Amino acid sequence: MLPNIMKNYRKQKKLIVILIFASILLSCQSEKKVSEKQDYLRWVGDIEQNDKIDQLDFKACHGDDEILQYFNLGEGPIYSGEKSAILNIFKSRYIPLADKEQNGLIRIRFFVNCKGKAGRFRIFQSDYNYQEIKFDNRIVTQLADITKSIENWKVLYRREVPVDYYMYLIFKITNGQLTEILP
Amino acid sequence: MKILNLILVLFSFSSVLALPNCEAFKYYGDTLKYEACKKAMEINGHYQFSKEYQTILDESLKIDPTFDYAYWAKSIAYLKSGDFVTWKKLIDKAVEYNPKEYLGYRGWCRYQFFRDYKGTIADIEKLDSLVDYDIGQSQNGTYHLNIAKGLCYKAIGQKEKAITIIENQIKLNEYENFVGKYDYLHLGVLYLETGEFENAIKMFKKQSHTNELAENQYYSALAFLSLDKLTEYKSCLKKAKELYVGGKKMHDTYSNPMDKIYLDNIENEIKTAYNN
Repeated sequence: MLPNIMKNYRKQKKLIVILIFASILLSCQSEKKVSEKQDYLRWVGDIEQNDKIDQLDFKACHGDDEILQYFNLGEGPIYSGEKSAILNIFKSRYIPLADKEQNGLIRIRFFVNCKGKAGRFRIFQSDYNYQEIKFDNRIVTQLADITKSIENWKVLYRREVPVDYYMYLIFKITNGQLTEILP
Repeated sequence: MKILNLILVLFSFSSVLALPNCEAFKYYGDTLKYEACKKAMEINGHYQFSKEYQTILDESLKIDPTFDYAYWAKSIAYLKSGDFVTWKKLIDKAVEYNPKEYLGYRGWCRYQFFRDYKGTIADIEKLDSLVDYDIGQSQNGTYHLNIAKGLCYKAIGQKEKAITIIENQIKLNEYENFVGKYDYLHLGVLYLETGEFENAIKMFKKQSHTNELAENQYYSALAFLSLDKLTEYKSCLKKAKELYVGGKKMHDTYSNPMDKIYLDNIENEIKTAYNN
């Protein structure tokens, strides 16, 4: 009788130990899963080089980890030739698409390097309720091509050293017409 | 005016001023929010855009998914990077859990970053309907929220309504000796655009006394031109250019303010003035 009881006790003990190990393992895995979900880059909005779509010879002068945001320099959004130059470029080159279905915001984000050249353009689109949509490609392509064709962006300085910085343009589209450019 | 500008600059970094008091949650027995709050306070010293900052707030929200402050704090970097979809999802959560605290903020950001005029009006009017106290200033301190609302009405074509709203708010601001740095200018431009040239000039003169700007002289010139006062028109344009070159012009860290002008505008007007 006693040997049987001892045998069962050992079995139960073994089972408990296995369960404890299993629960520890599972908790580790679930923690790992949660941390894996937080797939942040250095900063929100950072753009990694993608050799398939980005120019290979376009680089940040001080390395990707030193790219700032346009507003970090405290000068506000500034452009070569001021914003009026940007407005004139799009006004003269964007051909509106008469389509009542084309409404919302298109953002093109990129970075400007210390030489005033821009690259790594990324496009983001939403309707006026901030829900992601896809605009007619003829609108998006035009805006992207015009943005990429701008040869000189403002060189910004920090302590007299020209820096690399992220910039974006937001285009407001109403019925296929370009109504505003921000910021 | 320098003191006012200093106050406004301090306001522009006012996320610090909006830190929640974690002990208050404890005092009222909300231990979950207290823990979430304590976790969220670990963001101090981290940049809003950094993964450390975002990760801490994720952990805070894991403790209490209804902690409005953490959603708000997370949303800022998305707003400033132009990711309006993620920003809106996060700030909507903050508004859902604490509308009185964040409706005015969301409304202002919709205007400042996205020129979402109707959305701004809806948020500010909703806030006004929920509270019986003053709805306060924009996040950067530049405007009373009612002035921002007035500018949005102007942008959607309701200029008379915009004038009424801004006139009323300026009266209150004058009473409290807290007129915004562009208030008179915006009202003057509205008068100019609706053909009230004498009133426009009165407002521009007030703006000159509180915060002289290139824009103020530029629009003064246009008002004088409409009244056929060509000497004043030319003189104002000259002053506008001097002020602009000297850096006395409208400014916002993140966007270009409404009624802002550029050197091109002044120079083109000068050419017109001297060619006729």
